[in-house]
Amino acid sequence: MRLTLLITCCLFLGQSIALSAEGDFTLSGYLKNEIALREEGLNSDLAKLKNIVQLAGEYKINGDDLVFFTKAQYAYDAMYDLRDQYDRGQDWMGHTQRTYWLRDCYLDYTQGPWFLRLGKQQVAWGQADGITVLDRVNPVDLSEYWLQDFVDMRIPLWMANINYSPKLNANLQVLIIPDFEESTSASLYAPFTTYSYIRYEDWRKAQRDVDQNVYYPAKRFENSTFALQWSDMIGDLGYTINYLYGYYYSARNSTLFVSGNPFGGPASVWRVNRSFKRWSMYGASFNKTFTNPGPLQGITLRGDWAFYNNEPMYWGDPLIASSSGIKRWDNIFWLLGADKYVVTNWLVSFQFGQYILQHSKPGATTSQRNYIFNPFTYGAQDPVENIFSLKISTDFLNERLKPEILWSFTDDNQGRVSPKVNYEIRDNLWLTLGVHYFYGSMMDSNGQYRDQSQVYSHIKLTF
Amino acid sequence: MKKALFLLMAASIALPAVALCADLEYFQVYKPREGMTADEIMQIEYFVKYTKFAHDIDLRGKAYFVDKSGYVRERQTLRQRITLGRVSDGMAYKDLNMFTAPAQVKGLSILTWTYLDPKKQSDIWMWIPSLKKIRKVSQAQGDDSFMGGDFTVEDITTRKFEDETYTFLRNENFKGYACEFDKQVYFKDAPCFVIEARPKKSPWYYSRRVLWVDKNTGGAVYEEMYDPNEKLFRTFFKNFVIYNVNGREYPTQVLLECKDLRTGHRSVIVNSDIVYDQGLSEDLFSERALIQSRW
Repeated sequence: MRLTLLITCCLFLGQSIALSAEGDFTLSGYLKNEIALREEGLNSDLAKLKNIVQLAGEYKINGDDLVFFTKAQYAYDAMYDLRDQYDRGQDWMGHTQRTYWLRDCYLDYTQGPWFLRLGKQQVAWGQADGITVLDRVNPVDLSEYWLQDFVDMRIPLWMANINYSPKLNANLQVLIIPDFEESTSASLYAPFTTYSYIRYEDWRKAQRDVDQNVYYPAKRFENSTFALQWSDMIGDLGYTINYLYGYYYSARNSTLFVSGNPFGGPASVWRVNRSFKRWSMYGASFNKTFTNPGPLQGITLRGDWAFYNNEPMYWGDPLIASSSGIKRWDNIFWLLGADKYVVTNWLVSFQFGQYILQHSKPGATTSQRNYIFNPFTYGAQDPVENIFSLKISTDFLNERLKPEILWSFTDDNQGRVSPKVNYEIRDNLWLTLGVHYFYGSMMDSNGQYRDQSQVYSHIKLTF
Repeated sequence: MKKALFLLMAASIALPAVALCADLEYFQVYKPREGMTADEIMQIEYFVKYTKFAHDIDLRGKAYFVDKSGYVRERQTLRQRITLGRVSDGMAYKDLNMFTAPAQVKGLSILTWTYLDPKKQSDIWMWIPSLKKIRKVSQAQGDDSFMGGDFTVEDITTRKFEDETYTFLRNENFKGYACEFDKQVYFKDAPCFVIEARPKKSPWYYSRRVLWVDKNTGGAVYEEMYDPNEKLFRTFFKNFVIYNVNGREYPTQVLLECKDLRTGHRSVIVNSDIVYDQGLSEDLFSERALIQSRW
């Protein structure tokens, strides 16, 4: 299916270019350098020395009705060459992996109420900032945790993105995604290796024989991800209704001990099977700005709500990080955000969300403790996770200097504080300086990186 | 009951399909005349400023921001507006502004819906390239800088006729404006109405504006802005050119230059490739249009 889409795109493009005498070609891109220093008292050390090149091209084959767009990106992180402790992470972390270099490659076709986007792309759903309640169409690359821009974090997929607008301000979006990529995280020997991975690796090393296998969904049409979004407005209230069905992008391990034959047969072995489970998501989102005079005027409210059906989750004893298996639970994730400009150009943005597990009180069902795991750490996941974020941003010097601070945290006394400053040196040269400060318990998502707090700089030359 | 029904029907018949901007009807071309009051002249000035005479407009804009050392930053935009003046949902007009250069901001798009009710704020959506996502955002405060220039948000987009009170000062032939951007002198000896505008909001970042409204176009070609201490702190020039569209004369802003006398910083907007009344569809001014962004 993916090949068919690609061939169709190429044929269509080739034919269109041949037919089109007048094309409109635009090229744009950037070179970017990212340096991060892990900050731990006097033991500061290099955590990133990454150079990125990106090139994007747009070709208007027939005005705005038929457009081809592609974007390629390559990154190289020299830190993995320069630091011995990360040397073994070089293969996976040191440069762009697999087909991630191709960020976009699609054909846009617009005709009346129809809009088709065919090819490799990313689709973002929902109203939340930095929290993926509904934003589940594409898998994500968490090799730098959640610190990258979302446009770089989402892993693009080959898909057919079909839109039909039956009336003004309404749109029906249908996504057919035959492509499959799993969400990724940092490998071992990287600053943002998850604690769950380290614990798993510790366990694996302690065993004599571990047989690991990964089972990807077979490349068949019926294994595609299918998704729908209806968006419309009631007065000045915008809303969407969403549905997605497909394979969960994170594999889950099933561990099985196979006893050997003491009389000369095969030896005992731990068998770890990584496989992907089907799930579905039902969701909705809304946004509204209070525009009429009154105490609420100027406030924008936005929200996401999602019901995750059959979300695959580990359970077991968090004290020994021993997963007893996988449960497919029905969970709810909702989030409400509010934004308002105060005092001229100070934007305050606050979000509150709850991730509610199916069973509010996981208790002992066997002699073994039985908790749902946080997949990042194999720590116990709270039955109800309360999530907050607060962002304040402004600008000075005719918008050349843009400071911002983001504080995201949960009710477990763990979180991240990320102040940063963007400065426009020239039209095409931008500098960012910032800090990521993590705090909390090793068993929590942010707390696991409490020794990885860092100061960083980005310098970006665009053309 | 019958009387009430009759009154209701009569009211609905009397309600025009196209709204009136104060006393001015949308899609008409107005020029100020001798003997008009300050309010009447300013109604026309706002009408011209927001191109309410046209059904739609499409233009390319370049903005230059020049600091006192002479260093210049540049932005390029593509702007479209559809004028609606629609009573049924109170919609005045819709704007779509897209940044096309430099590459760092390329793709950033802002969709704005402005309502007939002067007390109602605009609805605004942004396409944010770093998120590849649409975000509904609150209207910026009126005194915030527009695009990082010396114009404020209300100078360009949100100030309405009802936000100020007006006094007619005098008739005057304008002394002319020496534009620093292209070194030309504009509107020398052009007959103007001089109007003083005071904001109803108090305290506010300015105490009054003095405007020179060109009698030929109805546009405010020059204005001086005074701070709460009555000190002149900003000047704002607009070059208007008459576009002939299907036999109608549309006064059009083609160059704006604003100087902040406190900082020595100045901003220039140049509008080019202006096309009126090409029948833009209202569908182009929706969230659907934003998700079609590629950059």
